[in-house]
Formats: sequence, C-alpha cells, structure tokens
Amino acid sequence: MKQRTMKLVAAFAAACMAATSFSASAFAAEVEGSTPRNETLYFAGQQWGTINDWNPMSANSNNAMAIQQKDSTRTLIYETLFMYNLLDNQLYPLLGSEWSWDDEKMSAMTVKLNPDAHWSDGTPLTAADVVATFDYNVKCQSSYGVEMTAYIASMEAVDDQTVSIKSVVGEDGVAVNQLMIQQMLQKMYIMQKAYLETVEGRCESAEDMKLDKMDDLVATGPYKPYYDDDQKVVFVRDDNYWGQAESMWGSLPAPKFIAHTIFGGNDAGLTAFKQGEVDVSQQFNTDVQKMWEEEDLPVTTYIDEAPYNLASTIPSCWFNVEVPGLDRVEVRKAIAMATDYDQILASAMSNQSPSFSDVPRTMMNPSDPEQALFDHDALVDLQWTGNDIDGANALLDEAGIVDTDGDGIREADGVKLSFKAECPSGWTDWNASLEIVAASAKEIGIEIETYFPEASVWTDDYTTGNFEIMMNSVTGASITNPFYRCKQFLYGPYADNEINYQGNYGHYRNAEADEILDKLAVETDEATLKEYYTRLNEIYLTDVPSFGLMYRPDMFYTVNETVWTGYPMQDDGSNIPPTDCTDGYGIAALYNLELVEE
Amino acid sequence: MKNTIKNVFHSPKFVMGFIIFFGILVFTIVYPWFVVADPLDMVGQGNFFKPGTYISVRDTVETKHYVLNITAKAGNVGDRIEADDKADMRDWLVKYGGVSQETMDAADDNELVALWVENYDPKAKQKGLLASKKKAFVRLNTEIEKLMKDADLILAEQNEDGELESTGTITSKEYVNTKDIDNKRTLVLGTDNFGRDVLTELVAATKNSLRIGLLAGTVATLIGLLLGLLSGYIGGVFDNVIIFITNLFTVIPSFVLLILITYSVGQNARGLTLMSVVIGLTSWTWTCRSVRSQVISLRNRDHVNLSKLSGHSLMRIVLTDILPYVASYVVMAFILQISSGILSEAQLSMLGLGPSTTKTATLGQMMNWATMYSAHLNGSWWAYIPVVMVIALISFSLNLMNTGLDQVFNPQLRD
Repeated sequence: MKQRTMKLVAAFAAACMAATSFSASAFAAEVEGSTPRNETLYFAGQQWGTINDWNPMSANSNNAMAIQQKDSTRTLIYETLFMYNLLDNQLYPLLGSEWSWDDEKMSAMTVKLNPDAHWSDGTPLTAADVVATFDYNVKCQSSYGVEMTAYIASMEAVDDQTVSIKSVVGEDGVAVNQLMIQQMLQKMYIMQKAYLETVEGRCESAEDMKLDKMDDLVATGPYKPYYDDDQKVVFVRDDNYWGQAESMWGSLPAPKFIAHTIFGGNDAGLTAFKQGEVDVSQQFNTDVQKMWEEEDLPVTTYIDEAPYNLASTIPSCWFNVEVPGLDRVEVRKAIAMATDYDQILASAMSNQSPSFSDVPRTMMNPSDPEQALFDHDALVDLQWTGNDIDGANALLDEAGIVDTDGDGIREADGVKLSFKAECPSGWTDWNASLEIVAASAKEIGIEIETYFPEASVWTDDYTTGNFEIMMNSVTGASITNPFYRCKQFLYGPYADNEINYQGNYGHYRNAEADEILDKLAVETDEATLKEYYTRLNEIYLTDVPSFGLMYRPDMFYTVNETVWTGYPMQDDGSNIPPTDCTDGYGIAALYNLELVEE
Repeated sequence: MKNTIKNVFHSPKFVMGFIIFFGILVFTIVYPWFVVADPLDMVGQGNFFKPGTYISVRDTVETKHYVLNITAKAGNVGDRIEADDKADMRDWLVKYGGVSQETMDAADDNELVALWVENYDPKAKQKGLLASKKKAFVRLNTEIEKLMKDADLILAEQNEDGELESTGTITSKEYVNTKDIDNKRTLVLGTDNFGRDVLTELVAATKNSLRIGLLAGTVATLIGLLLGLLSGYIGGVFDNVIIFITNLFTVIPSFVLLILITYSVGQNARGLTLMSVVIGLTSWTWTCRSVRSQVISLRNRDHVNLSKLSGHSLMRIVLTDILPYVASYVVMAFILQISSGILSEAQLSMLGLGPSTTKTATLGQMMNWATMYSAHLNGSWWAYIPVVMVIALISFSLNLMNTGLDQVFNPQLRD
C-alpha cells in the first residue's frame, strides 16, 4: 500500500514536471513583446509597476517611462517645446526653435516652432496644437493646467509657426513669475489639437479627459508604445520621426527599442544590471565602484571618482515648527548641529555625494552657477559642519532646555523632547540617514524615533503637516532654480494650502523671506539677485526650518557597456547631461550610442 | 527527577544541542567582558569594511621603525602587474599607442612597461574603446606610475608660514612591529552598512534575540499550559469557551496579527520586552491544544479519581496529579517556542517592524539592513552570513535538544 502510494506520487510528480517544462519551453519560444537584444536599450530604476495610462493630463499616471514632466522632462513619446540642460542651465530647441520676451516687463513671450515638426500620424505640428494643449490642460483642470493659470493668462496662435504667450502680470505690468513660464517651455507636453478633440468627444465632461487612457495616442516623439504588461514596458522607434530632419538631430536615435523590465525591487534590478541585461540604471547602488574595481564589469558612472554622479538636489530633514519643542529654534539647530553628516555621506550615501565641508550648506546645490549666486563670506559664521555634540549641548543648556526629570531626555517648556522622524519604507539611503540623525540626537538628550510607513502614508502626512520631523527632497537643477528651491524651503503662503505639495511642509513663517521671494520671481539684475539670495540663506541658516542631510543627484546614472557604448561622460566634450539618456537634453545621448564591437 | 536528568544527558542529540546552545550563550556573556565597546557605535565611516585589523596610519609613521633586509614585495614593476592587465596594455598600445605588433610581440614585461610609460596618453583618440575601459586604463596608469616610483617617501610638516618642511624619509626597508602600535582595532567580522563592528553587534544581537526567545517562549508556554490544563480538566462550558478562543487564534494567521500589533504600537514602544510579549501572546495556541488533549486522557485515570474522592482542591489535583504527566511535553514545547520566538523576531525585523535600530541590536535588524544595502549582491558576506549562521545554529540546537528529549520521554521512541 505504502509503496503504491509512493509510486503514484512519483508518477504524478514526473507528470507535473514534464507538463511545466513543456509549457515553459513553448512559452519561451514566443515571449510576447520580446525584442532583439542588440536593438534594445534596457533601463532599470524608472518604472516600478504596470503602467496605467498614456495620458499626460492624468492625475494618477504611473507611466514614468513615458510621462515624466519635471525639471528635465522625459521626451521619448511626447515632446516639449524646449529641452533643459542642467550642465549649462540652458534651454535647447526641440519642437520650438526659438523664444523671446516681447518687452522688458516680460508681459508676453513669442515662441517659434520648428517647421519640420510633425505628428506620428504625419500631420504637421502647428501653433494651434500648442494653444490647444494649454487650453485643454486648463479646461480639464489638470494639475499642471491649474498651476500654470497662475502665471500664464492665455496663449494665441499668431500664425502656423508662431505662438504668443501672455503672462499674468501684476499691478506694475510685470509678469508675476517669468521663471515659471520659461519652465513651461521644457515641461508642458505638446499634444495634438485634433486628438484632444477626439478625446473630448468620447468623454462625458472635460474633467473626464483626465481619466482617458489615451492608448491610441498621437505624439511627436521618437518612440511610440510597442508592448506593455505587468512584466515590462517596451517602446519602438518611430522611423518616420520628424527629428531626423537636419534642423533637429539629423538622424534617428540608435536603439530601435526602449525597454524597461518591471523589477520586483532594487535587488532584482541590480542583479540584471550586473549581468548586462540592463544598460542604463537609475538605481542607487551601495559601493558602486566595486562593480568595476573588484568585479571587473564594464560598468561606469558619469564621474569616475566619488561622488560618481552630479549632485543637484538637497534631501532635507524638515521640522514641523508648529509642534511643541520643535517651535524652539535652539532645538532645531541643536539637532542639525549634532547630526553626523560625514557618517551619512559615507554610509547612508555610500560616498556618492559631495560633503558639507566641500560645499558648505545653503539652499543652493553644488553646481557652479548656483554657488555663484550668493556671498559666501557672509554665511560662514552661520554654517555648521555637523557632529558637534558639545556645541549642540551647550546651545541647549544655554537656552535652558535641560533634562529636569532625570530620564536622560531634555524638556523644553515642560515638553519632553521626543519626536518621530518619518520617511517612506524601502528608501534605503533615506532610512539610514534618519537612523543616523536619531543616533546623533540621542547623544544630546533628544529622543528621535524613526518611522518608515508606505510612501503614500508619508505623502499624506507631509502634505497635510501631520508629522514632527520628516525627510523630503526639493527640486534639483532646473531653469527656475535656485529660486523655486528657496521658495520650497521658506515660502510661508504654501503653508496655507490645505493640501500642500509645493513646499514649506513644516509651516515655517517669515514675512521678510516671503517678501524677498515675491520680488525674486521677477528680478533679473545679478547684483540684486545675489543680495536677495544671501539674505534668504541667512534666514534659512538662522531659523533652521529644515536642514540638508546630503547632496544627491536628481537621477542616478550607472551604465553597463556590455551591449551599447557611447554614453555621455564628464569631460567628454559632448555637453550632454547624465539624465539617463531620456530626460531633458540628456536624450541627445540616444543619437550617439553605438553597439559594442564584438 | 535526578534520574530523568541523567537520562536526558545520556541522549547524544540532546547533549549536542545543549553544547551548541550553551556555547552560544556563554559566548554572548563572556565576549562583552573583553570588548566593552558600544555595539551600536558607528566606528567605520563607510559601508561594509572588510574583516581584518585596522592600524592607525599615523602611528605607523610615528612609531619606532626597524630596518629589515627583506626585498619588499615589489620586485620589478613588470611582475607586479596582473596578467590580464598586461594583455590589455599590449592591446591598447597596438591599437591606440602606435606601437607595431612586432615590437609588441618581442617585448618582455619590463619593456612593455617602458613602452607603456612612453606611449600611453589618456587623451589619445580611442575610438571604439568602452568608456568603462578607458577609465580602467587611467586607473591602471596611475597604479603603474605609483609602482615606478622607487624614491623614498618624504615626511613633511607645515611650518608657521604654511610651507612644508621635511621632517624625515621612509625607505622601502623600514618596518614597524604591530605590537608597538597603540591605535589598532581588529574587526573580526568587518563592519556593516552603518560602519558598526559586526562581531560586537552580533554578540549583542544574539543576546537580545535569546532574551526575546526566552521571554516569548515563557509567555506562550505559560498561557498555553494554564488554559490547556484548566480547559482539559474542567471541561464543559469552560472548555468550550477556551477552545473557541483557541480556535479563533489558530485560524487568524498569527504572523499577520503580530505585524498588526507591532505596527500599531509604534517603534518607541517596541522594546525587547514588548516584542517578546507580543510574540508570546500570538503563539500559545498549539501548546494549549496539545496540553488540553493530554489532560483529557489523564483526567479519568484512577489516581486522579482517587484524588477527587479524597476531596483535594482543583488546583492541587491539577498541579500534583496532572501536571507531572504533561511536564516533559511542556518542556519540549517550551524549547520549540523559544526557537520560534527568535525566528518571529527575525521575521518582524526583516519587515522593518523590529525594535529601534539606534537603541537595540537584534539579529533580524542586522539582516534587514544588510539586505537593504545589498550586502548579498556586493560580496559583503560578513554582514549577513554570520547572522544567518547564528540564527540557524540557535534553532538547530534547540530542535536537537527537543528531539533528544523526545527520545527520552516518548516510550514509543525509546530504545
């Protein structure tokens, strides 16, 4: 009996194995959406879930590989008028060939379009399309449309190739924020008028347009959708792409396919990258140099030595200044002074960040143009380099913030200094950074508990001010910066928003800072700019509404040259930024790629 | 009792398990006598420093130097470059350095180096060469330049005017005795992602995990035993109620319950004690069920009935007439509970729901951070393999002890 059972089990197991191996081999023969390796450029670290739509106006699109409107906008599928290059802080022509202000008050801007530009359906791009894009964004109340109505009054087509953009102006007739209009040039995805009308026709209301999937999209970009499921997303080159005209790139991008496997996590992405199954990785890798130093892989980063990437943003620790205890500037400053930044840089960031002794802390990123915008000497006395336990202790003692009940934790105005510091779980370097902040705070008698919820919980918490200490980043390199970054750090009116995505998450108030920021939006004189930025940084360093924990690149950029080569590198003379061959002027890299010779 | 213990220690399996477990326990107690450093102190500034002894560079310069007539490992430069690199250098020189294939074929290693120094130019047009390779050549070149330097190293100090003044030289024959050096630290298992000494942390973590296991096991066993004894012996409605609750806890996956509870109490409250109590509170059910069924079979035995007839109290009957019969089982269950308590903590901490990282070290926390910083992918074995080994050894030894006990107490398995 027993033996018979065993035999049956064995037979069943054998049958199962045969069945699975058969189906596996049958499956492998024709995997849907598979593309030849030497025609495909593989990415990692950009797309983390099954894509849900192709709609640039959507409120909840997760199609990061196609739709990414930010400081350097991704132009693989949809295109913008201009491309931003963070290396020289300039706008480069794409759909638009030139732009200029009509007058000194910047009340209107004229944009000329590239006459060669046409849509994927073959029809030419006209000024009417640009105008329709703006109008529909406003009409359907897309978040970008809503944001832009504060700065752009209207757009008009002067002729087929010319668009006139009217600024929202203040009482003095000057544009309220000329920088945001320049930003639009590289941020707003241009959509086809005829297509938008089709979409409007099939939606019940204009607002419903935000929910349309737009699977049948018409765009101008070099790629179009090819295949997507829960495993990957693939784009195919549009061989009829207008950009092959001499007025633009003069050729088609080298890879025929752009593919992004949807990895389960960083580990899976890293493993694939090391094996050469991924070409360009946006992931943060611990000890990235080990890949070439010890493992001898054909892997490299933009810069050969630490910090390996161009840092452009400042992930910061934000205090909710309305929380008792944190409303005391001494407490905020003491935590900031005690924090061991060198340890954060070396361990949490794996040395992939310039240190605060190389680039003393301000609201400016480490790039030369931004560092030139303030008076360094004026700030020296206000800056701290960290790990100053004695200094922090002295500061607290002096302010009368001491431990009165002998539990090892200080009290301020009768409130025990015990706080919760929050950032999303799985954001490794951030998690580790907050742990180091907590460890340092412990040494000065302040208790900090780390709390790593899901990203959505963290977003809810910081947008509604429901936190004590929180870690969040600010915008990096952009045409609007450092102005916009300073605003994110300090601008009081942001705190009035019921749901505040924009900045000043800790509800800090300073009338002088608000006034300077309002003036800065339209100021173009360099000396005045410098004066304003110096003063703003003084306020920031004195009141410590938040403090930077590290400098960090907007995007990590690590390439594996197993299949493709010719990636932009520092000092290669190409002036192409390391934005992963997809964003802003970084997309120019796609035209320089070559296959590795066997 | 004495006899039972003697029997137990005659079981080779039990003894083996006991030795391992006791060994780990003793190590966690003895180690801190010798290494007093704070296990959570971030000594290394960087991720995953490899195991070894770290000696202060300044001390090696300032301490007494001995001259030993040993040829430094150096030898000639040609021998010190790796074969792969030499092949690459030859390729480069032929392709981009304008050296003919014949010259290259004729050149030996030292001539190769000479040719390299003469012809290598990082700015040369290197068409078709991978960027990663180009950069590798630059690094290799720096390496060779360093090897080529046979001059003595000059030590210098800055004088008052900020100029450098030579204070001495170091030749390649000068050595230091490591015993002379005060500032050194042996990191037997290197450092982790925060730069903490892994061995010291591991010992502290093992101690904490054992504590969690013991406490969780005690809580679980006590609850299970008490409810099992009472419900089995009293029976009736009381039994129904208890078994209803037990079933309720059995069908709710205890791990989910564990996650929910630990998540809701917050990290500051999640100290070792609370963690253990929570783990204990969610894992008593099967002890309860087995004790109950054993008690049911015991409660109608003659000696129990005799006790009842003699008018003994409920507590006395349960404690003196029933408990001794299930005691061996309870001890075995307790051992398994310890093991599962340790594993539960490790699982929870892996999910980031363990105690606070800056306050306590636990095995699960160490695993969690090692994985987050992909120690398993970048070759930093010292950050996670010892942890896995300790977890495995603890549960292996406990299970071994359990099997040994089973052999002693279970009549069916007795030889």
